[in-house]
Amino acid sequence: MDTTRRGFLGAIGQVTIGAAASVAGAGQSASAEGTNVPHWGMVVDLRKCIGCQACTVACIMENAVPEDAFRTHVSVYELVKDGQDPAMVMLPRLCNHCDDPPCLPVCPVEATFKAENGEVLVDASKCVGCAYCVQACPYDARFINHETQVADKCTFCFHRTQAGLLPACVETCVGGARNFGDLNDPESEVSKMLRHNEVSVLRPEMHTNPNVYYIGLDDVLDGRVAGEAAYHPEMAASVQHHGEGL
Amino acid sequence: METQVHELVGAVHDAAWQPWAVQYFFLIAMSVTALLMALPAFVFGKSTDLRAARLALMVAVTTGITAPIALLADLHQPFRFWEFFVYTHKSSWMAWGAWIVPSYVALMLLFAWAIHRPEFHRMGQDEWRFAWLFRLFSLGGAANGFARPLGVLAGIAALGILVYTGSEVMVVRARPLWNTPFLPLQFAATGVVGALGVMLILERMLCRDGALEATLNRRLALALALVATLGGTWFAVAISGLSPVHTEALASVAGFPVWQQIALWGAASVAIPFVLALTLPRNTGVLTGLIAIHAAWMFRWTVFMGGQAVPKVGSGLYDALMPTGLAGLMGVIGTFGLWVFLMIVYTTFVPWTDATPPAHTSDQAPRKSASPQEI
Repeated sequence: MDTTRRGFLGAIGQVTIGAAASVAGAGQSASAEGTNVPHWGMVVDLRKCIGCQACTVACIMENAVPEDAFRTHVSVYELVKDGQDPAMVMLPRLCNHCDDPPCLPVCPVEATFKAENGEVLVDASKCVGCAYCVQACPYDARFINHETQVADKCTFCFHRTQAGLLPACVETCVGGARNFGDLNDPESEVSKMLRHNEVSVLRPEMHTNPNVYYIGLDDVLDGRVAGEAAYHPEMAASVQHHGEGL
Repeated sequence: METQVHELVGAVHDAAWQPWAVQYFFLIAMSVTALLMALPAFVFGKSTDLRAARLALMVAVTTGITAPIALLADLHQPFRFWEFFVYTHKSSWMAWGAWIVPSYVALMLLFAWAIHRPEFHRMGQDEWRFAWLFRLFSLGGAANGFARPLGVLAGIAALGILVYTGSEVMVVRARPLWNTPFLPLQFAATGVVGALGVMLILERMLCRDGALEATLNRRLALALALVATLGGTWFAVAISGLSPVHTEALASVAGFPVWQQIALWGAASVAIPFVLALTLPRNTGVLTGLIAIHAAWMFRWTVFMGGQAVPKVGSGLYDALMPTGLAGLMGVIGTFGLWVFLMIVYTTFVPWTDATPPAHTSDQAPRKSASPQEI
């Protein structure tokens, strides 16, 4: 696998699905040729999200996420404002790859670290599975992977971006709601979206400086959502794996 | 503008810290507070406190051995524990704890061994079946003047445990219920309550001395008063808005009927043994002791499992407060089982009834065993 920036540029030509979103990556790569190191970020345009969960499934398939956990998923809410007609609101959730991640200083063995391009990653060979980072994350974005017994989370598909590809959730997003690119590059699509739209982040009171931004986020959803919970079926004691053809 | 929200699709996050963690925080708090209660008699020579101190040392040793095992079991990669000592991350309280816990356990065990060394030596001189074992335990001598500095060091390590366990949980801003400055004090105070509860039960089982029972009950009443004061102040500070973090902590759970029931249950667990211990200090030791243990354990269960049941971003509550399944239950039963086993070993092999403060001379002559009245 070519992990160079030149490879990233070259690989963009190979991406046929989600080509529009790839432009953001192309812009970033151009800037990378200069002095700036890319700083990955995501802008989620909630006006375009239809809650299809294609990103949820793509992430699970791409990253072999166990069946009892998610690296990303789309929360769906029904909002009724002042007795008006109810509105369906989608909210894709994932690791915010914060610039000041609370999960990082608590890790007792320095298994969690901030990568060069801003991704918050876990060195699985070092992680002791103490789950302190799971507690510290204000976004409920981490979990203990019961197959690997270490902390697990979204990596912005590090293995894909290193190969010049977009994260699986971005590439599969049918409505173009998820946009990924270099926040350091003023010409990248995500930078332009940030400039031309009013954006919000989740849990701003935590001062984590997240790198996932939302367009059209309702204030009542940016923190712990005070509302009636969805039906939570009791978790099965042992996960039932789905086998093809069975 | 009033907005009603109904979550239609949301993810459920199960508790990452499981009942093993509750057991660890419960046992280690009892161990360190019990050790601190044993020091006045064994280190500073307060002879009137000796009988209570013997029970306190027993609690400190048995729970102090069990606690780290429960902690290790809560790691999802227990065989990587050595990494704590190779990759110490200075900004993590847990990393500091990895050094403080073994230091405390080692110093506490050395202190307990030093206190009992003269008796180990004496039992090694007698003609009986296991004399060889006690000669081995005593390492061929009876001197234990070094027990005092060891006790002081163990006491410092115990304070270190109280600081690190409290801070480790308190710094987690993502969980409002944990992120309160009162929490370390509450852990310490309820640790004293739990330790005194176990000492009361042991007193009833092993000593049956009404005066000692009354003494322990009076101390329990004092500790419960401290717990109630801390709890009341926590609530007052939260509801008055003086401290935003406490207000947020209260707001995170206040609207749920299950939490209102927990608050009432907790208040009763403090008030009932307090009244009993104060008004009937004799012949209530078993009851006050059991309720005190329950109160200390329930506080930690509520903080850890209940705290994890509060979603950080989702709606409602998760099922962590009352998890079902055998694994969690086995964590609780397994650690209590180990503690009971250690209690049997301790009361069988350690001459705890003869434990006295170390002599000032460099070498101590073998002493006679204590009479039953001294126990």
